[in-house]
Amino acid sequence: MTTLPVRPPLARSSDRVIAGVCSGLAAHLGWPVKNVRLGMVLASFAGGAGLVFYAWLWIMVPTADEAARRNARRPASPIAPTVSQPPHGTAHDGTAHDGGTPAGAAGPVPGGSGGTAGPPWFRARGMRYGKEILLGCGLLLVAGIMIAQLLGVDVSLGTLIPAAAVLGGASIAWMQLDETRRAGLVDKTKADQAGGWGRLAAGLALVVAGVLVMVSGSGSWEQTWLALLASVAVLGGVVLVLLPWALKFWRDLEAERAGRIRETERAEIAAHLHDSVLQTLALIQRRAGSEHDVVRLARAQERELRGWLFQDPGRESGQLSDRIKAVAGEVEDLLGNAVEVVTVGDAAMTEAHEALVQASREAMLNASRHGGGTVSVYLEASDGQAEIFIKDRGPGFELGDVPADRLGVRESIIGRMKRHGGSAAILSTGDGTEVRLRLPAAAEHAEGKS
Amino acid sequence: MNTAQGTGAGGARPVRSARVVIVDDHAIFRSGLKADLDASIEVVGEAATVEEAIAVIARQRPDVVLLDVHLPGGLGGGGREVIAGSAALLATTRFLALSVSDAAEDVVAVIRAGARGYVTKTISGAEITDAVFRVAGGDAVFSPRLAGFVLDAFGTAPADIADDELDKLSARELEVMRLIARGYSYKEVAKELFISIKTVETHVSAVLRKLQLSSRHELTKWAAERRLL
Repeated sequence: MTTLPVRPPLARSSDRVIAGVCSGLAAHLGWPVKNVRLGMVLASFAGGAGLVFYAWLWIMVPTADEAARRNARRPASPIAPTVSQPPHGTAHDGTAHDGGTPAGAAGPVPGGSGGTAGPPWFRARGMRYGKEILLGCGLLLVAGIMIAQLLGVDVSLGTLIPAAAVLGGASIAWMQLDETRRAGLVDKTKADQAGGWGRLAAGLALVVAGVLVMVSGSGSWEQTWLALLASVAVLGGVVLVLLPWALKFWRDLEAERAGRIRETERAEIAAHLHDSVLQTLALIQRRAGSEHDVVRLARAQERELRGWLFQDPGRESGQLSDRIKAVAGEVEDLLGNAVEVVTVGDAAMTEAHEALVQASREAMLNASRHGGGTVSVYLEASDGQAEIFIKDRGPGFELGDVPADRLGVRESIIGRMKRHGGSAAILSTGDGTEVRLRLPAAAEHAEGKS
Repeated sequence: MNTAQGTGAGGARPVRSARVVIVDDHAIFRSGLKADLDASIEVVGEAATVEEAIAVIARQRPDVVLLDVHLPGGLGGGGREVIAGSAALLATTRFLALSVSDAAEDVVAVIRAGARGYVTKTISGAEITDAVFRVAGGDAVFSPRLAGFVLDAFGTAPADIADDELDKLSARELEVMRLIARGYSYKEVAKELFISIKTVETHVSAVLRKLQLSSRHELTKWAAERRLL
């Protein structure tokens, strides 16, 4: 293995202890997470280098969700092929050391995409100067403490512990910010809101306590108490003054976000209408002379639009009723006569159901072709049994009169149903023909076992 | 939509003319429908909004109102609100719901408000004429799709006791509904079940009554959940 293995982009993983930095790093480097974490802890003892490195990565590296969103936004149109995600399944389990990557993962994708994955997020991150300034301040602080110690100033434990408390509280609050940013972008109704507030409160308490102890030094309780009271009063005043402003700001933000969502939705609807309805209307104008074509186009468009408008995202698709409706649509497009489908109940597709769908398609084709008018299709599925009725109002026919070499009815409908344990009956009078297809529950089970 | 086809030969229809009000917010649809209706049907008024409709119906007292399910104006209730606003006239004025929506909640809502039937807007002139006469005569007009809704809502298992059970259909009513869902006209249903057209009409009216009166809250819930066509 001389080629460089393709690395997943550096992103903070959702599998995390603190901020997902270690597991993200492990995924990126292809090392076991445990080793990375251990290394980080060991490095922390070396003058806090590990801690600083961790903090730096935390601030600079996006979460996996953010990275995915940024990648997903890149293709300009939904039709354009989406940028393929580098395969990183093997890197996650922690067993893939350098050179140990299976050929299947590294083989088909040469290093090209790995090279392009780096710069964009880095550039995007570079815009966030605020964080860099913060980081700089933190580093300066650390440096200041070190210099002070070098100069012989005694940095006592009494100062360090409150400082650690402040830092800890701040990072807890920061983690919370991280969370809300992610949750707020994904959806606003978070389940763990209570936990989030709890964390924020804990962070605040830590910071306040730390600051108090630091400021008041090792003064008496009385003094501390007074300071606490004063600071709470000041904070309360500040909150009172800033609250209306903050609320307004928050509302504006909400309004802007809602507006953006509406705008996106509108754009999506516009795109859909353009692709479907406007195109069909243009076609209808060109074909205005042919009544047959106009009706057919209008029916097809109506079907498509209904499907789009009334689609229930919570419902399983690919059920028997969906297949029957799809087949009815095909027959409508093919022959131009309307096929009205009414369904009661539903069932998951099985092999026998597929045969039922194919048989009813054949029956619909016959009904539309020979009946010459609207075809009525009725599907009733319950307790595993499925029945389909296909009715037309044509002149009717005698099954005996159908030439022996015409296989449509005998093979594709009756024979097919029998082979799958169902039955088919054809009732034809001068007023029309009805094909009755029935697939009992037992047949379905037998089919499922074989 | 073959519901009302072939019933003209039934003969026993006492109603052969009707005064009709058309309520629909699309002028093109109103004029098209007017042109399609039989000459024996007199269109005595038109309305495009809920308020207009209630006013025109109160003034003209038509036999039948052809009522679009979706209408602007009022409190946003559409056709349902028109029927509610004309409640005093329900004994003499019948409502036939016309819809392009096909969504169960719309259809069931307007039927439960008091409409005597429901047809889709793609229905042909002859069929709508027949449906108007049928509704004017006090019968119910069920399209295959409405029959399908009823079967879906009430379940396909027959009631144990077929008398005054409002939440279930009797075995005979189920048979009639099934045949209508399969595209049979009333006449064909009668022939298939060896009963008279009058009996078929009685069964359909009974189902309509159950649909309107059943207090089963699942019915409304079912309709609200079933948003697909």
